[in-house]
Amino acid sequence: MNGRDRVARLDAAAITRLAIEHRISRRHFLAGTGAGLGALALAACAPGAKPSGAALGDTLNLATWPNYHSQEVLDGFKTLTGVAINVGVYGSTEEMEAKIRAGNSGIDVVVPSNYAIEGWVADKLIEPIDYAQMADFVKADWNAAFMDQAFDPGNKYSIPKNWGTTGIAYRSSKVTEDVTTWKQFFEVAGTTYAGKSVIVDHQISSFGSAAVAMGYSLNTIDPIEMAAVEAMLTALKPKLYAISSDVQPPLRALDSWLTIAWTGDGVQVGRDTADARYVVAADGGELWIDSYTVAADAPHKAAAYAFLNYITQPKQAAAETEFCLFPHANDKATALLSAEVRDNPVIYPSAESLVNLEYAVNATYNSAARAEAWARIKASA
Amino acid sequence: MSIISRAATRSNGQRRSYAALLVVPAAAWYVGFLVAPLVVLAIMSVGERSPNGGYLPALTLAQYANLTTRITPLTNTLGLAALNTVICLLVAFPVAYTLALKVRGSWKLVLVALVIVPFWTSFLIRTYAWMTLLGANGVPRILGWIGFGEIQLLNTPFAVSLGIVYNYLPLMILPIYVSLERLDRSFLEASRDLGAGPITTLRQIVLPLAAPGILSGIVLVLIPVMGEYLIPVLLGGGKTYFLGNALADLFLQSRNWPFGAALATVFVAGMTVVVAGYLAISRRLVRIGRESSLL
Repeated sequence: MNGRDRVARLDAAAITRLAIEHRISRRHFLAGTGAGLGALALAACAPGAKPSGAALGDTLNLATWPNYHSQEVLDGFKTLTGVAINVGVYGSTEEMEAKIRAGNSGIDVVVPSNYAIEGWVADKLIEPIDYAQMADFVKADWNAAFMDQAFDPGNKYSIPKNWGTTGIAYRSSKVTEDVTTWKQFFEVAGTTYAGKSVIVDHQISSFGSAAVAMGYSLNTIDPIEMAAVEAMLTALKPKLYAISSDVQPPLRALDSWLTIAWTGDGVQVGRDTADARYVVAADGGELWIDSYTVAADAPHKAAAYAFLNYITQPKQAAAETEFCLFPHANDKATALLSAEVRDNPVIYPSAESLVNLEYAVNATYNSAARAEAWARIKASA
Repeated sequence: MSIISRAATRSNGQRRSYAALLVVPAAAWYVGFLVAPLVVLAIMSVGERSPNGGYLPALTLAQYANLTTRITPLTNTLGLAALNTVICLLVAFPVAYTLALKVRGSWKLVLVALVIVPFWTSFLIRTYAWMTLLGANGVPRILGWIGFGEIQLLNTPFAVSLGIVYNYLPLMILPIYVSLERLDRSFLEASRDLGAGPITTLRQIVLPLAAPGILSGIVLVLIPVMGEYLIPVLLGGGKTYFLGNALADLFLQSRNWPFGAALATVFVAGMTVVVAGYLAISRRLVRIGRESSLL
């Protein structure tokens, strides 16, 4: 979208400049503009370059989240195997899905959130992990609390990358009370802290947390409950500072005081500003796991397994965790972490605080009614 | 005699088939990259969302019936696009007029180049820069020192408008500049000699002659602004919502392609009306110009 806008703009600019330089008549000028729009249409249709290679090959295409991987760890893989990793950054699991569902994406390894995996398995978008190609993978090293989940029994299709929570972040210099529940968050967001509160642009996290605030499940797809949540959020929207997943800049600048946030945001802002707080809500909310999966049509499967074998090792996993500051599910990796990271209660919250949290399920993620309710909230006045 | 005429006929026929051959690439282009995608869009818009998102073949107008839920993005887009095009025009005209008729020599080249310079930096980076400027630690803090109290600029319709005018202004200045640059100055002298004041000269000489440039500028600004997506996200905080944002949501978040296609179809139809209007007006201008032999 953004790319397309820019192409159009630059073309028009270049054409205008040419028009001035060559004193082109208005008629030619317009013809030129038309040609520019044509070029834009072509650019939109141009197929992506197809990489090739033998044995492990020389490239691997990874579809993942922003600021999620340590460049040193990725470079280490290249040194080890000669395979260079192309990192494709996505803002949501939905965007990753759009790419691999279209087919021929060239993507080898995808890192979706838990809620997508069941549907991807059903539609054969990802293949069973071939553990035989991952000689160094030791299942016993992993924290049982995050393995063998309902979305992928036996981790047949996915291996956790990092996990985290969806919590409440705020600046205690401005938010003077302790915000401990979603119920409280959504009450003060539109009243005491009107114009200073942010909810993330993510259906599951924002709509789900609002559902929890109203006493429903994070995963509600009940029409009456959803209508109530939609009404509440539609009324709240004009009083918010933003609906945006880029929560850190405004929180740091004190443009916003109170926000929904994910673990990593809580840690990073907390590290840089003394008065930042990150709270896992006591009344429930979202627990999530992003997992490595292998695309069914991955062009570099051998390289994909070599990569999974490498990056799930405790040393690499620990380095990744030190970088992205989301907790890891590999206990041996956790043991290797610096005390500063391991003992940070924002990164590794107590087991008790996680008791009330839920994983978002595939039915929630794929519910057309719920997606439309969230889209309507965003499109409301 | 008959041989000559036959030869002439043959060469005419040959010329015609060559001409037809030359049209093929352009025709294939338009069919492949313009008509075909529009047909796909129209077909998709009468379909249904498949259970896991995407498109399921169907024949229903349900998506179109649902369009009323997107009235706000529609009115936001039309209202702000029109408003900001007018603001662009009001700001751009004096600038273009000064550049074309008042500034002389090498200064002119430098100043025209400066209009284009912002395009050398990524649009994204320039818009991000505005986020810093309009955020709490930017202009609002300075206003606070002066004593305006606490003012929120970022994530308001004002910020979105500012972003649009800032980013699109050169596209309005340049075509107007081009049309004024070609203006025969003797018209202005004649107008003055005949006793017309500056305002009469502007109204009766400059504006009619600049009209083609103004129209080009309006179209160059209005149409891309109607498809704007990034500025409302970055400077509007997702609160001043455009059709482009609604479309992105439908394709990327809800994965409701048929509804997105229906919205896009209506959007394309609307744009077509604007462009058709533009063509009609510009054709009329050319005719008037020819009749008064000014153009």
